[in-house]
Amino acid sequence: MEVKLDKRYPLDVDPARAWAILGDLKAVAGCMPGAELTEQLSDTSYKGGVKVKVGPAVAQFGGQVDVLEKDEAARKMVLRGKGADKGGSSASMDLSATIEADPANLAASVLHGDAAVIVNGKFAQFGGRMMVQVSDMILAQFVENFRQAALALPAPASQAIAQDAAVAFGGPVEAAPRTAPPVAQEINGMAIVWALIKNWWLGLFGKKV
Amino acid sequence: MNAPVQTAEAREIALAGMGVSRLRKEDARFIQGKGNYVDDIKMPGMLHMDIVRSPLAHARIKKIHKEAALAIPGVHAVLTADDLKPLKLHWMPTLAGDVAAVLADEKVHFQMQEVAIVIADDRYIAADAVEAVEVEYEELPVVVDPYAALQPDAPVIREDLAGKTSGAHGPREHHNHIFTWDAGDKAAADAAFANAPVTVSQHMYYPRVHPCPLETCGCVASFDPVRGDLTTYITSQAPHVVRTVVSLLSGIPESKVRIVSPDIGGGFGNKVGVYPGYVCAIVASIVLGRPVKWVEDRVENISTTAFARDYHMDGELAATPDGKITALRVNVVADHGAFDACADPTKFPAGMFHIVSGSYDIPAAHCSVKGVYTNKAPGGVAYRCSFRVTEAVYLVERMVDVLAQKLGMDKAEIRAKNFIKKEQFPYTSAFGFEYDSGDYHTALKKVLDAVDYPALRAEQAAKRADPNSPTLMGIGLVTFTEVVGAGPSKMCDILGVGMFDSCEIRIHPTGSAIARMGTITQGQGHQTTYAQIIATELGIPSEVIQVEEGDTSTAPYGLGTYGSRSTPVAGAAIALAARKIHAKARKIAAHMLEVNENDLDWEVDRFKVKGDDSKFKTMADVAWQAYHQPPAGMEPGLEAVHYYDPPNFTFPFGIYLCVVDIDRATGETKIRRFYALDDCGTRINPMIIEGQIHGGLTEGFAVAMGQQMPFDAQGNLMGNTLMDYFLPTAVETPKWETDHTVTPSPHHPIGAKGVAESPHVGSIPTFTSAVVDAFAHLGVTHMDMPHNAFRVWKQLKATGQNL
Repeated sequence: MEVKLDKRYPLDVDPARAWAILGDLKAVAGCMPGAELTEQLSDTSYKGGVKVKVGPAVAQFGGQVDVLEKDEAARKMVLRGKGADKGGSSASMDLSATIEADPANLAASVLHGDAAVIVNGKFAQFGGRMMVQVSDMILAQFVENFRQAALALPAPASQAIAQDAAVAFGGPVEAAPRTAPPVAQEINGMAIVWALIKNWWLGLFGKKV
Repeated sequence: MNAPVQTAEAREIALAGMGVSRLRKEDARFIQGKGNYVDDIKMPGMLHMDIVRSPLAHARIKKIHKEAALAIPGVHAVLTADDLKPLKLHWMPTLAGDVAAVLADEKVHFQMQEVAIVIADDRYIAADAVEAVEVEYEELPVVVDPYAALQPDAPVIREDLAGKTSGAHGPREHHNHIFTWDAGDKAAADAAFANAPVTVSQHMYYPRVHPCPLETCGCVASFDPVRGDLTTYITSQAPHVVRTVVSLLSGIPESKVRIVSPDIGGGFGNKVGVYPGYVCAIVASIVLGRPVKWVEDRVENISTTAFARDYHMDGELAATPDGKITALRVNVVADHGAFDACADPTKFPAGMFHIVSGSYDIPAAHCSVKGVYTNKAPGGVAYRCSFRVTEAVYLVERMVDVLAQKLGMDKAEIRAKNFIKKEQFPYTSAFGFEYDSGDYHTALKKVLDAVDYPALRAEQAAKRADPNSPTLMGIGLVTFTEVVGAGPSKMCDILGVGMFDSCEIRIHPTGSAIARMGTITQGQGHQTTYAQIIATELGIPSEVIQVEEGDTSTAPYGLGTYGSRSTPVAGAAIALAARKIHAKARKIAAHMLEVNENDLDWEVDRFKVKGDDSKFKTMADVAWQAYHQPPAGMEPGLEAVHYYDPPNFTFPFGIYLCVVDIDRATGETKIRRFYALDDCGTRINPMIIEGQIHGGLTEGFAVAMGQQMPFDAQGNLMGNTLMDYFLPTAVETPKWETDHTVTPSPHHPIGAKGVAESPHVGSIPTFTSAVVDAFAHLGVTHMDMPHNAFRVWKQLKATGQNL
């Protein structure tokens, strides 16, 4: 089955730092819960895997990621990932991700992702009806990790100046520098299931989830 | 001391013959957990097989890595198509004249297709090893819609058929086209339509469904390398046909192949075919010289073993303004999946679909069915029906409703107006079937009276007039005719073997008996009912008659049990074998009583001398004499075999009425009442008939209200577990009311027509008719199945009826 995702995540990170993460496939993989790159095949091609755990069941997708396009000026990455697990499922994703500047706020940006995910086999058959919700949950975890990783980078000069000025005037100082938070080593299926149940209940009572 | 003198009536009761609601002889073992199913069979040294299946619906196989699986302790073999090639077993013939891959040869054609097999010490090791087999695929474009499959630029599904411009059923016009099959008179039908004052047309989709028997398919194959013989226990509705196929495929003489169908946990058509799993287990046993067991799981059963239906149908009726039907035209696009593995008599690629003129006297009719390949699992079996009769009945019954709606006529009235009349039987339909007997008007009146039809219509009118009614009320009516008991060998064969069936009866010296049959019970209760036929024919109590089926080494050759053929075909074979014995017994009795044969009368269980009740010989007396001292010149023993080739099909019919209440808020459909009148001719065991009808109605309810096998654009089957696939339990199942009339078949030795499938065939359009009827006043003419709450709710929204 095919799921199309078109998501915009506002970030409290300036475009330069956000692009520094997005433009580095290894860094991006580091933000993806359960994902890792295991081997570099060429400048644009990597081998890697994603591990998803739901209770006692573990699905481990192994595959390849190719960078189809990297546009520094437009802060845009186009990726294609393909993988399969040993239990009879396979998946592929075409992703176009862009960092968009926020004209109103130099210290903020928007991570825009446009993806087509195709899942085949048992994953589609058993998990098909939860695909969109599960994708949302995984992406939310990813974006949070992404944000943390970007914030952990040294701030650009303009922001540093502003901060120095604040110190000089005795204003409040943010604790810096930050260290990257530990990234979850696998996608925690139980947490996803719990979030789904919670959101479903909230939905029943008309809350926006 | 003389035995107490019993009246003929008392003796008749003691026989428990035809017409008696004798308790099922099978149940004692089943309710105690003492059945003997394929998975109960354990043999010394037995190995277990599991199957590596494709996650993709259409892909080229680049490489298969077996090493990791072979390295697992306890794994004996991993076999792929390349291993079967030297044996020429990587492809096998299908019942429909096509070929099917046993293991995917260079490419996979549907999701979960068999790619490799693993043989291991136990089932767990086999399952682990399946995960260790790595297959590299190159994805190909997938087509799951038969209309899309027929587009000029559609992906080529069957590369192995490249250049073949004709198949088993005539010319192929496209790379994904299998056949086009016609019946009836196109010119006559077209002419009738050209001049018709009233015409209606309707497109409808009969979804792909699965028979989903409780027991999945499987086998235990055991090849003895010393003796060179092969025994296979198998879940088959047709063990003798399997033996012939296995012998042809393996080259082992048929006399050295023994196929046993032990207890079968439901078949419903799913267990007619020969599946790759069976072939692989047999090959593995031959290769390894050890017994090999394969039993599929539920997901494998629903995903890969034979489905049913998947017919996209366009129906048209022409009529006079007062509702007399003058012509019928039907066009079908039939999705057969990746291999044409339909289970039909060889000459009929759309089975008996041409029963589509139904119970109606339609002067001109034509139908055309186009079979198409798609990237879906193969199959196309008769799911509790006789070869596509369900689809045909659904179409004609829906069309009559559509016509009634257009003309503003009542459903019952338009049916009565078009029925074949009692005095027209035997009636030859526009498609050439010769209907044996029927009395539709009497049956319809009985049902309408029983439910007080005018009162129901009045209630419905009141509800329609009330905008605040919480429910919509619908009344469904179906008046169907089936064609079963395939069939006359001049028309029907499977792989060239005529569709006769057989019975062998042996009367033992002490007067008990054993009967062996070419059929095989899967819940029909043959061990009970067959004995009743013999009891009545031969005057032997049914309690002392053993019925055995399913072992090809002991049973006479028969084509098996499906398509409601057991009673119409094998039931007749029983009666005629019994009559051969009866004729010999009469000679022996005459000899014993020292009278001429013609001076004897037969009464229940004995021959008696005309006019003298005290001079008689019972069948038990005769049996003893037959083995002890038969008349001079007569062969000893008392047994007979009969192979019955039916002169015609039988045509059971029924009138079904259903009342539904649809919740306007939720779309939930409640079956308020379901009244089923069946006429299956002579009734052998009313209790078993009742049980069969309950079962058939429940499966019909399942199909109409919930079952479906949806595929996404990538060919993933969305719904191959019992989480998704609707199997009704006692909780969901409505209450059934049953009734009957008896119109015996004139050509059948005991007048019986077969019954188990009528309730399935008849009930499905009845539910649709009822649900659509709830919306009929809003101009809705048809709604495709399944009528689950969501789909009905969408209809409520679309018609502004949702509360």
